[in-house]
Amino acid sequence: MMEPTLSQYLLVSGALFAIGLLGVIVRRNLLIIYMSLELMLNAANVALVAMSRFNGNLDGQVMVFFIITVAAAEVSVGLALIVALYRKRQTADVEDLATMKL
Amino acid sequence: MDGQLQFIQLEVMVVVLGLLVLLADLFLSESARRSLGYIAAGSLGFVFLLSFRGGYTDLAEGEAFGEIYRLDGLALFFKRFFLLTAIFVLVFTVDFASRLRSGVSEYLAFILFALSGMMFASSANDFSLLFVAIELITVTFYILVSFQRHRMHSLEAGVKYLILGAVSSAFLVYGIALVFGEAGSLKFDAIRDAHAGLLGSKVFLFGMLFVFAGLAFKISAFPFQVWAPDVYQGAPTPTTTFLAVGSKAAGFVLLIRLFGSVVPELTAQWAGMLMVVAALTILYGNLCALPQRNLKRLLAYSGIANAGYMLMGIVVQSDEGTAAILYYLAGYLFTLVAAFMIINLLTRDGEGEDISCLAGLGKRSPFLALTLTLAVVSLAGIPPLAGFFGKFLLVKAIAVKAFGDAGYFALLAVAVFGVVVSIYYYFGIIRTIYWSKDTTDNSPVAVAWPTRVALGLCVAAILYLGILPNKPINWADAAAKIETK
Repeated sequence: MMEPTLSQYLLVSGALFAIGLLGVIVRRNLLIIYMSLELMLNAANVALVAMSRFNGNLDGQVMVFFIITVAAAEVSVGLALIVALYRKRQTADVEDLATMKL
Repeated sequence: MDGQLQFIQLEVMVVVLGLLVLLADLFLSESARRSLGYIAAGSLGFVFLLSFRGGYTDLAEGEAFGEIYRLDGLALFFKRFFLLTAIFVLVFTVDFASRLRSGVSEYLAFILFALSGMMFASSANDFSLLFVAIELITVTFYILVSFQRHRMHSLEAGVKYLILGAVSSAFLVYGIALVFGEAGSLKFDAIRDAHAGLLGSKVFLFGMLFVFAGLAFKISAFPFQVWAPDVYQGAPTPTTTFLAVGSKAAGFVLLIRLFGSVVPELTAQWAGMLMVVAALTILYGNLCALPQRNLKRLLAYSGIANAGYMLMGIVVQSDEGTAAILYYLAGYLFTLVAAFMIINLLTRDGEGEDISCLAGLGKRSPFLALTLTLAVVSLAGIPPLAGFFGKFLLVKAIAVKAFGDAGYFALLAVAVFGVVVSIYYYFGIIRTIYWSKDTTDNSPVAVAWPTRVALGLCVAAILYLGILPNKPINWADAAAKIETK
């Protein structure tokens, strides 16, 4: 069985990042957008772990722990915010977020 | 280990103070809680004084925790800057407390936690600390922005900041991953040694570009500025102040350290791109500010333009440029605090942040009218006020380089054009204060004494930085020299 190379890992992580970014841009539902954002963060995690392994430097894997922790904090705040918005407006669609204009 | 903890003593004090504020909330009566903000501001004043203590300043030029935390002149300057900003914001919050409706102590504590993040950011010497510090600031700001849950504007601003902030974090993290892969380390010292050999590597360049995008979001530089107007307008006014001054300065200290000292050769290679970004930021901010009627939105666009001016100091890559940014930020702090405090006083009951709320202010309260006029004139960059000197130093730093490089001349022309355009909308504010006839309310404006003191200090600082610039320039010069090993 062949060992995957660094560039293959990076290809996966790049694809994850691109899918996440596309989701943020295209989707209109806040929860799906938020899910796509998590995908983007995890793309970076995959890249960090792979590079850490191929560089022989564990700093990158430690960084991944920080990112996971921070992402958890961000999700807890973000979901609370989206729920608060839903209670107020009964919608989680970004099209409805346009009360402030010029 | 004991020796290392000395380095983060100020940050530890701020975090402990934040926890104490949360605890005190449990034991205090409703009326005593109101003064909690003043107590916290006083304690921060004490921490601010401690930062001048010999035992602490002697640690300068030292590194701790495996070289990820660095204390130098730049870090010291910004730590004091952030402390001062937070003191003003805390005093401001007490004025604002009745409009938050609930959770005032939590609001104060979150300001302190964001402050600790900013102070850590000013000392970041490693991508891991940079990331964690930035996220500490951003995540607390999600909460601070949407704190008025009963107001749709505040919630909407919070969600917009959340989504765009998370996208920028994702770019930052992915950039860090790519840079780590090429440079083989997260430490700034190692990247400084390695970066000259990596200028041909596309992966490294993309990584740094993503990192730049993540930081440019914080300072609201073009094309990462779309969030600023909505968030500034919708957020509670103390949050807007802290966002406009503290969060922006945190972005700048990281940009200065990263692009000024860690990857100088990359900055030189990217000078053209950075110039275009600075020029577009200046143009976008100033031109979009022209039709604005909402004061907070107007200051948001003016804040975008100001970020563009300060970016010029990074483009020139000289100690003079960095010192000019520091000077500019110092003036910016006092002008914005004064402006937002007065806007808040005038819109106490309603939602009306329209420019017409200033009508007749010259008669209602000459002191407030004069303070706001000084702040606005300083923002416009008219001598002899703080804003003028900041702009003057920036233009001087650019002009020194301009001979022999047409790009710098073009940037200079854009900056001067921006200043001229900005005078138009700043003058619109002054005209409304003194000459507008459509005023319905002639009652004097009530101002609590701590707010009065804070406004007085702002006026004094704006005048001092404008009229007697010698000493502050020396401070800025000393802070701008980043020693590297």
